[in-house]
Amino acid sequence: MSDWTNILETRGLTMQFGGVTAVDEVDFTLRDGELRCLLGPNGAGKSTFFKCLTGQLIPTRGTVTFKGQDMTGWNTHDIVNLGIGIKTQMPNVFDGVSVYENVRLSSRRKHMAAQAKELAEKTLERCGITHLAKREVGYLSHGQRQLVELAMVLAAEPALILLDEPAAGMTGEERDRLARLVLESARSAAVIVVEHDMVFIRQIAKFVTVFNRGAIFREAMIDEIMADREVQEIYLGKQANAASA
Amino acid sequence: MEKSVLRDPGFYVMVAIGLAAMLILPVVLDMFTIMQITQYVVLAVFALSLGYIWGFGGILSFGQAAFFGLGAYTFAVAAINIGETTIPLILAFAIPCLFGAALGYFIFYGRLSDVYLGVVTMVVTLLFWKLANHTAGPEYAIGAARLGGFNGIPSIPVMNIPGEPEAMLDPVQMFQVFMGFLIVVYIVLRLLIASDFGRVSIGIRENETRASLLGYDVRRHKLVVFAIGSGIAGLAGAMWATYQAFIDPNAFSMEMSAKALVWVMAGGVGTLVGPIIGVILLQWLTLKLGTMELLNSLAVLGAIMMVLVLALPKGIVPTLRKLIVDGWTLARRKKTGGKADE
Ligand SMILES: Nc1ncnc2c1ncn2[C@@H]1O[C@H](COP(=O)(O)OP(=O)(O)OP(=O)(O)O)[C@@H](O)[C@H]1O
Ligand SMILES: [Mg+2]
Repeated sequence: MSDWTNILETRGLTMQFGGVTAVDEVDFTLRDGELRCLLGPNGAGKSTFFKCLTGQLIPTRGTVTFKGQDMTGWNTHDIVNLGIGIKTQMPNVFDGVSVYENVRLSSRRKHMAAQAKELAEKTLERCGITHLAKREVGYLSHGQRQLVELAMVLAAEPALILLDEPAAGMTGEERDRLARLVLESARSAAVIVVEHDMVFIRQIAKFVTVFNRGAIFREAMIDEIMADREVQEIYLGKQANAASA
Repeated sequence: MEKSVLRDPGFYVMVAIGLAAMLILPVVLDMFTIMQITQYVVLAVFALSLGYIWGFGGILSFGQAAFFGLGAYTFAVAAINIGETTIPLILAFAIPCLFGAALGYFIFYGRLSDVYLGVVTMVVTLLFWKLANHTAGPEYAIGAARLGGFNGIPSIPVMNIPGEPEAMLDPVQMFQVFMGFLIVVYIVLRLLIASDFGRVSIGIRENETRASLLGYDVRRHKLVVFAIGSGIAGLAGAMWATYQAFIDPNAFSMEMSAKALVWVMAGGVGTLVGPIIGVILLQWLTLKLGTMELLNSLAVLGAIMMVLVLALPKGIVPTLRKLIVDGWTLARRKKTGGKADE
């Protein structure tokens, strides 16, 4: 494979839905092993950006390069098999089967049965859901389902982890565990986290990208972002709009 | 579904019941009844083909009869030409299986939505039915076999022992061989469903997006499941053809597809026993109610289906299973004082 320093690069990435430009000429760069937080008001295009990265949506224009490999327009499973794992905003899990089987189906992708079993059990343990192993996922709370999906992502041992609002619906305790897990995972993989929960963001964030109206609005360290008047305004503006609507 | 098949007592019970029926029924029942039951056995194989793709692959086909009919015609034409039935039987599995793979390629790789899958399978069935009806003239013959249009193909050879075309099966032997087929299909499907391949299919049924986000090729997987189901439906068609010694375009009828849907729905989607029980129960009911000559048997079937959907939306087997499991947990909880959750 060609030499690369940035695990992920997008150039001019654009996604249009009819007249709506959800992602607008995004040049995004992520170094290997980096942990990045992606912020932005509702509708900023964060989830759509993730979908373009994973082939769930085919971008209207632009390119996505992973480990030096241009994979624009590839099928989702081929992209994922290069080493990308995603926790989607609305959990995508296998409702009708057990928590253990959900995670095992992930670890089994790359491992023989025995190792897959071991890895699945280890990952359940890491995510603190071993006690739920036999439960059917469809009956769990939103926060628990988030953890199951996270375990599925981790069990695939991806080189790039995308997490879309992983803390939503979690109790304080679950959220703290999640923060630890994210930091721990970031030691062996590059991670992008989308989140609105500021308590959570403060626990994990270093370098931050802020999206607004589909485009990159700011990129800076978290403290600088938090102090940025214009960033506050786009968040508040959206909230004011929402309140008046 | 997650424990190993070989450790599931239900699996052995089912196989034992099947073997017992195969050996004991011919002793205790008269020939006429055995021939009646043979019909159920054939239809049970057909129902299993749909029960598998729908319940364990999430593929809802409205045209399972296309493969049933294709298998029946393949068998008829091949048996008439070859003069024995073993190779025709294999062809009756292989050709619908290949056709299912081709159709599946078009459907799944073309990313047709579930609604279109229903429409396409239905249209294909109609096309076959039309085609088969239009082959009345003598010019429509494949080798020695005249297709016969709406008149169908008569004098289809009765099944013979492999390698001995003269050794044709009598009705009791045919019943036993067909029971053997049913048992083998059941066992193979159970093993397949419990295999890693089958577990991925179940994952795809539960959530296609997640399956592909884990790196599984959903299209290829569905294609394989669909093709296997098509092959089994074709096998059932062949059994039907040799059982009746006759086949006509009605093998391709919408009624045939609809019945399969009703059997599976009534018995329970997501089980294999369900479709078999669905066949037995509904065929028996339509037979009984039909002989009363009060009502059209299709109307009866429709009414039964409505009652079932309202009373047992999950189907007979899942409902019974839940009753038994709930009863069992309740009993255990009483005994252990409320610690039966683990
Ligand atoms: N499939 C779609 N068809 C049409 N418009 C879409 C589609 N998906 C997203 N959009 C639009 O694209 C824009 C960006 O949506 P997206 O979900 O990416 O925002 P987001 O930043 O993830 O927001 P949130 O924080 O609320 O999750 C929104 O205006 C949304 O309405
Ligand atoms: Mg979003």
